[in-house]
Amino acid sequence: MTLVDERPAVSVPPAAARRPRRSYAVFPVHLAMLAWAVVTALPLLWAVVSSFKTDTEILNEPWSLPASPQPGNWVRAWTEANIGRYFLNSLIVVGGALLLTMLLGSLVAYALARYEFRGNRFIYYTFVAAMFFPVFLALVPLFFVVQRLGLLGTYPGLILVYAAYAVPFTVFFLHSFFRTLPGEVAEAAFIDGCSHGAVFFRVMLPMARPGLVAVGIFNFLGLWNQYLLPLVLNPDPDRYVLAQGLAALSVSQGYRSDWSGLFAGLTIAMLPVLIAYVAFQRHIRAGMTAGAVK
Amino acid sequence: MNRPPLAEPYPTRRTLLRTALAAGVAAPLLSGCVTGGGDDADPAAGNTGAKSADNPLGVKAETPLEVVIFKGGYGDEYAKHAGTLYTRKYPGAKIDHQGLQKIGEALQPRFVANTPPDVVDNTGASRLDIATLVAAKQVTDLSALLDAPSFDDPAVKVRDTLLPGVIEDGTFGQTPLTLNFTYTVWGLWYSKSLFAAKGWAYPKTWDEMLALCATIKAAGIAPWTYQGKYPEYINDPLLSMAAKTGGLALVRAVDNLEPNAWKAPGLISAAEAFAELAGKGYLMAGSEALTHTEAQAAWSNGKAAFIPCGSWLESEQKDVTPPGFDMVMGTVPSRTAGDQLKATAVQAASSESFLVPAKAKNPAGGMEYLRILFSKQSAKAFASTAGTLPAVAGATDGLTLSSGLGSVRDAVTAAGAETFTYRFRTWYAPLAKALDDATGELVNKRITAAEWAQRVQKAADAIAKDSSVQKYTR
Amino acid sequence: MRHGRWRFLAGALVPALVLHVVFVLSPYAQAFYLSLTDWTGVAGEAHFVGARNYARLGGDSLFLDAVRNNAVMLVVVPLVTIGIGLFLASMMHLGGRGGRRGIAGSGAYQIVYFFPQLLSLVVIAVLWGFVYNPNTGLLNGGLRAIGLGGLAQSWLASPALALIAVMAVLVWSSVGFYVVLFSAAIDGIPRELFEAALLDGAGGWATFRKVTLPLVRETVQVAFVYLGIAALDAFAVVQVMTVGPGGPDGATEVIGLSLYRNAFTYGKFGYASAMGVALFFATLTLAVLALRAGRKERLELA
Repeated sequence: MTLVDERPAVSVPPAAARRPRRSYAVFPVHLAMLAWAVVTALPLLWAVVSSFKTDTEILNEPWSLPASPQPGNWVRAWTEANIGRYFLNSLIVVGGALLLTMLLGSLVAYALARYEFRGNRFIYYTFVAAMFFPVFLALVPLFFVVQRLGLLGTYPGLILVYAAYAVPFTVFFLHSFFRTLPGEVAEAAFIDGCSHGAVFFRVMLPMARPGLVAVGIFNFLGLWNQYLLPLVLNPDPDRYVLAQGLAALSVSQGYRSDWSGLFAGLTIAMLPVLIAYVAFQRHIRAGMTAGAVK
Repeated sequence: MNRPPLAEPYPTRRTLLRTALAAGVAAPLLSGCVTGGGDDADPAAGNTGAKSADNPLGVKAETPLEVVIFKGGYGDEYAKHAGTLYTRKYPGAKIDHQGLQKIGEALQPRFVANTPPDVVDNTGASRLDIATLVAAKQVTDLSALLDAPSFDDPAVKVRDTLLPGVIEDGTFGQTPLTLNFTYTVWGLWYSKSLFAAKGWAYPKTWDEMLALCATIKAAGIAPWTYQGKYPEYINDPLLSMAAKTGGLALVRAVDNLEPNAWKAPGLISAAEAFAELAGKGYLMAGSEALTHTEAQAAWSNGKAAFIPCGSWLESEQKDVTPPGFDMVMGTVPSRTAGDQLKATAVQAASSESFLVPAKAKNPAGGMEYLRILFSKQSAKAFASTAGTLPAVAGATDGLTLSSGLGSVRDAVTAAGAETFTYRFRTWYAPLAKALDDATGELVNKRITAAEWAQRVQKAADAIAKDSSVQKYTR
Repeated sequence: MRHGRWRFLAGALVPALVLHVVFVLSPYAQAFYLSLTDWTGVAGEAHFVGARNYARLGGDSLFLDAVRNNAVMLVVVPLVTIGIGLFLASMMHLGGRGGRRGIAGSGAYQIVYFFPQLLSLVVIAVLWGFVYNPNTGLLNGGLRAIGLGGLAQSWLASPALALIAVMAVLVWSSVGFYVVLFSAAIDGIPRELFEAALLDGAGGWATFRKVTLPLVRETVQVAFVYLGIAALDAFAVVQVMTVGPGGPDGATEVIGLSLYRNAFTYGKFGYASAMGVALFFATLTLAVLALRAGRKERLELA
């Protein structure tokens, strides 16, 4: 980790030299940036505001503020759609799958990136090709595979399948990352008598931390928003993940014409992720920087 | 929700997310049912008792009963009520009642594992595909139930207590396998109070309709809206009009994929009628992009005078209809003076499909439960709370009905024997898709009636020629 | 050492490979086989039909609509997304050359831009369905509020606009991610290069073209691959948001939707699998081409 972190510091010239002599007009730049920020935030803000309106207000005045806020919409979404339970289910499944994905993915990526052996390229492409498979091509056969293993509708079943579908991207991403890590440290560790496993876990993995963070974030987002897989493999309403739960809320919206409840549900699903992101965005950006620079 | 699964499979396209939900599940489910078999042991062995006049199906009194109900717009209170009647008769039986929305997702693994419940209300967008369940021999023959004496009157068989067409709707090959509990009628909806206040009279003929539309438009209200995101909604009145003009022969020709069936004068003239409706600007602007809930809400809020829909509309709109709106359903006006069917004829079919799984542990109890559910007493309780007609004849006698349900009952009474339903939508889904696309184009003035007929006929011919598609006739 | 090496390799590779073969490769392999059958979802009744399913693809007008729409999206979505993403990312850096982090507030901008990336496509599609509603939607409501009611459209129901409306959602949902990614890549460019360009009197555009673009080229290429794959999919948004869905009259049909409908509504699983296989080869070709191009340029640069 230290090696990677030091790199930019080496290449950055002293602060004084970085001060520009000439400045571009800042105003139009801000205008452009602000315009896109509005485009991005407005629909989300609108969903939040609409979640406090009555159905009649939603239908008649799309731009108005609620005459009197309707917390009942949120209560309805929370009680009728069990958003809390779905959240917990999502946490369990995504958390388990993320750990498994990171462990298996980094092991494979490292082994393929740092060891020469027959079949290395073949295994690599076997994984990487899977990134480009359209998932619903596999859905029905996958259902039977999971069912025959007795894993249908269970947390372990979902975790295994989630991980299986997230590992290819993880391998692809980390493979190039491990390749660029300097070999000297590992060699020194070998000379010191470290085993292969110890070199990986104690030396290489810490050095790859920025990459792990980056791919971990991608995986988290991908798994958190996964919809097709749980739809087919997770039929028990008690184990619904958040996307399924939200869809269920939309189902009752379809039956009962409850727009305000649907907006409240959307908001409940959005806010925690957005707040968590704002809280952790520094780390996330650091990870992505590492990913982009690699 | 309340669409009849046999006659109109559109719930799959009715709401956006339900589609996403349902579609992902349907196929895996089905195949699961089939391959999951192989265990030929009869799970019901030892769970039937002696038959008697009071117990015609041979229920073993203390055997538990598991009932899975689709909890949609009608809720599941009516099913719990039937359960209460059941335990009153068999106090030793414990009933496990479950009200769910995603029947398929919940029951698929159960069918695969040969441990299905004893009664299934196989309804809703993610219901199990009935044809596949039937092919996999997962459904119990209900003949014994139909021939049993009815719960209310031992002198009358169950089969004689049902509305016309109900048994046919649940019959596959020659075997009755499902029983539909509700009866759906399609028509044009309007606000009785609005029409009374404005002095408008519901039109009997299409010419009257056009004249009235001019008046309505002049009053500053859009004459029609429709659920544009799902063009099948506006197909219903179009096809009803065509059926009235061409009679049942036209309906059969369409369903049997006969050559040039879609170019019948009745269909062309109905398409022309709707092209004219659109051409004169009688459809509310923006309707073409609205979901069913949005269009219906606009209509409830007085932005449009008419909306085509099935008889579930009143309960679906319960929460967003202003007081005093008094929605009522009218029948589709006659197109010509020489129509084969009277103006009172209605498109109608039964829905909310109940079945007893073949591998149920307590099939006798399951059928007994259905016998109780389809009793007049239970159907009456349903009609008074659910706001829709049950498939049991005379179930609404003596009840004070809401304005919408009352108008539906009156329409059924007025139609008498002149009810009809198209089957092609269930039999040939790609044809339904082609028709929906073409009708969407027609009412958005992008194609003419002749082009519409041409397009749909082409799709029908393609299906007729396709040897890989299983054909049905009626 | 040798011994430990093989033991480590086995331990590292075998669990992941087992998972991969069982849950990923075997279902796909089965799907490939199914594309050569007339399987309807009822097991035991699959008959081998050879390439007949593939031959039918060419005569399926809805599928051809889907191919055309996916092709349009494949070009437009990555271009527009990357265009906006690069523009905003370089603005951040060029606009405020003083600080390490670019112009004032660039951190806050990046946070906001990233929001849509955090949301499930299902949520996004539901939300935008409301935005596009012709009568009560945010978009037309806004146009009317500022006196541009004449521009109000039935966005998702007019054949000329529906696909554009879908692509706009895809662009909207992904721009933020690429702003952050490109911004990180630009952060990685040594400052001296920018300053050298400035000293040479290069303007903003020239700096972008001569310095920024060449040095973030690899990141852009990766972005093209990911966005291309997303554009070839687009299933969730189309399925949830559009008229029909896939309409009006096939205007927003995508291959994924055709596949889905054939498999799960029509029960033509064999035929749908053939579509999936075709989609698979399209995706794979795209990825290989893009990555090849990337490798070649890397060699030329070196």
